[in-house]
Amino acid sequence: MITDRNKKLSYLSLLLPAFIIYIAIIIFPVVVSFGLSFTKWRHFQLKGFVGIENYINIIKDPIFQIAVKNNVKIMLISVLGQIPLGVILAYLLFRKWVRGSQFFEMMIFLPITISSIVVALLWNRVFSPVGIYTSFVRTITDNPDYVVKIFENEKHAIVPVLFVLLWQHTSLYMIIFLANLQRIPKSVFEAATIDGASEWTIIRKIVLPALTAVIYTCSVLAISGSLKSFDLVFAMTGGGPVHYTYVMALYLYQQTFTFNNYGYGSAVSIIIVVLSVGLITFCQRIFAKISNKYN
Amino acid sequence: MKKILALVMVSLIAVTSFFASGANESKSDDGTITLTGYMQIDPANPAYAGHNAVVEAFEEAYPNIKLDIEYATGEAFHQKFQAMAASRKIPDIFTCYGGARTAYIQDPGLVLDLSDTDYLTDEFKSQFKPVTFKAQGENGELWMIPPTLAVCHVVFANRAILDELGLDYPKTFEEMIAQVPTIRAAGYYPISMGNKDQWVVNSWLLSLLVDRTGGPQWFMDAAKGENGAKFTDPAFVKTLEIIQTMCEEDLFSPGVNQMGNGEADQEFYQGKSVYLIDAGWRSGGMDSQLPTEFTENIEMHVFPAIEGEVRSNTSTAVTGEGFGIASAIKDTEKADAAWKFISFYTGEEGSKIFAQYGDIPTCNIDFSEIEMGIMQKKYAQFQEEHEMGYVFDSVMNGEGVSLLNANIQAMMMGNGDPSEIAAQYEAWVAQNDTNRE
Repeated sequence: MITDRNKKLSYLSLLLPAFIIYIAIIIFPVVVSFGLSFTKWRHFQLKGFVGIENYINIIKDPIFQIAVKNNVKIMLISVLGQIPLGVILAYLLFRKWVRGSQFFEMMIFLPITISSIVVALLWNRVFSPVGIYTSFVRTITDNPDYVVKIFENEKHAIVPVLFVLLWQHTSLYMIIFLANLQRIPKSVFEAATIDGASEWTIIRKIVLPALTAVIYTCSVLAISGSLKSFDLVFAMTGGGPVHYTYVMALYLYQQTFTFNNYGYGSAVSIIIVVLSVGLITFCQRIFAKISNKYN
Repeated sequence: MKKILALVMVSLIAVTSFFASGANESKSDDGTITLTGYMQIDPANPAYAGHNAVVEAFEEAYPNIKLDIEYATGEAFHQKFQAMAASRKIPDIFTCYGGARTAYIQDPGLVLDLSDTDYLTDEFKSQFKPVTFKAQGENGELWMIPPTLAVCHVVFANRAILDELGLDYPKTFEEMIAQVPTIRAAGYYPISMGNKDQWVVNSWLLSLLVDRTGGPQWFMDAAKGENGAKFTDPAFVKTLEIIQTMCEEDLFSPGVNQMGNGEADQEFYQGKSVYLIDAGWRSGGMDSQLPTEFTENIEMHVFPAIEGEVRSNTSTAVTGEGFGIASAIKDTEKADAAWKFISFYTGEEGSKIFAQYGDIPTCNIDFSEIEMGIMQKKYAQFQEEHEMGYVFDSVMNGEGVSLLNANIQAMMMGNGDPSEIAAQYEAWVAQNDTNRE
């Protein structure tokens, strides 16, 4: 006979390893970072406690403000660009409205399988002043001074990065949505069609309610992924020109590992964590309301 | 139970003590000394073939010294080294900079100050160019001996294009500007330079301009905030104005701030531009990548004279990185073995090998004995002909330089004023730069 004590012990023994690992690799670094964020460091040597000075300096820093704006743009393109486009592409392929849907499925999915560094190098090779596209335009327009000016535009230098992100990551969401669409019984669509429902009605009344939970999951992924964007931006622009394409993770990296400002870098990481948790909580509330509406 | 536990503990202590003592053993029974090393080198990269050959020659010459070297490059090198420094466990010999780049091991006293040892005799020092032993620490410390000198400013000129256009290398900056219409009309770009990474203009142009307009003494005074020198002085503002003028006068090829350094080189190699502003060590790559008929036509110059300059015909150079010795092994056989390695690597034996692989060593050697590439010969001659000034970002703190570089890039794209940039930089330096402490 299993006693309550044995039950508790067995639960504990099953739970404890995962709990310890979680504490060690998630909670502990966050707590340590939080502590470090109130200190000043130089060359791995603690210089002293500075209170909230790091946080004040970060918020006042115009480079950090640019980084936050760029992260917001990346988040918007992810949530309002990648996810809706992913739903549309998945639905087109699911309903087999295009010939050779398997071919398109593969082609659309391809970018996400390529490393972000490779993608960045590829785009740079095409659009740099000595790239294929630039050379081609110089030849056909007979303008040897032509360069893609958007890369130097203070307000719009981030746009090419957003475009690449849209191109690269939409496919991931498309596959997730496609897999979930395939779980809806075909009979539901057939019944709706027999009842005379229009395509728009099917989307509104069947498809979107069925995808609500997965859209929420994708939104959480998109928000958290947007706030920690690093690899593509680092390889494609390095935050430049000037600081026009800086993002928070790049700012964090530079402060921590290039300038060895460990306390300052920790404060940036805490801000990123707080923003992530806040935005995901906000997102959770919105989807809870939407779910209630459908229920 | 307690006895078993005690037995296990004693066994563990005995085993760990055994291994711990083994790890600290500096000399094996046969008299071989093992030196541990951590170097910022990629031995698989052909650019470091000279290093591999020198290490091989050292191991042949000193069979009783065994090198156990770990290699890493770029940021990964520094990140791991910083962690080693934090735990106070650094290898016997390691890559070390004369500037602030490896301050994380110099500041806590982990590096042996060579000037405070008997190793640096006058006889040994006399083998080298004087710049080699320029003080590296604030109190005159010498952390390492640089095996090679990194010249950070050269204006490479394509003689074939100059002849085709009936031009000669300009003597003054004004003459250089005056050449632009002729060069552009012929379908060439005047100067290739890739400033996408922002530091390029600073390292390879701004440093030179500061040396010309202010001179090395003014620069060091401004860095330290001494003798009333500041970065808001006309000398520094003028350097920024010259860069601004170069952009306004279309001296650079289009997209200078979008182009990577390697892409700018390719533009010059493809004969699309007349001049290339780059570092001196690029000459080694030219010998290996370009046909002889092309390299024969490449000349190595310095930036033309600037009106009101305090020094003329100068370039800039930094002693780069060398190998330091851990202070923990001071006055031991290991330290002597480490010195043997460093003196071999940087001395005549190592330098002759380096020269064969295209590097110009700091040690004075007879180049006539060595088979060298066309550009390498020109590079060796260039170093003889030009006095060297400071490289700006090897002296000033990286964080402030990063801010300055971004502002220079903005100015080059039409969004900045030289005086404001100088004022912003001075404000940062005054508040944060360690040179002012």
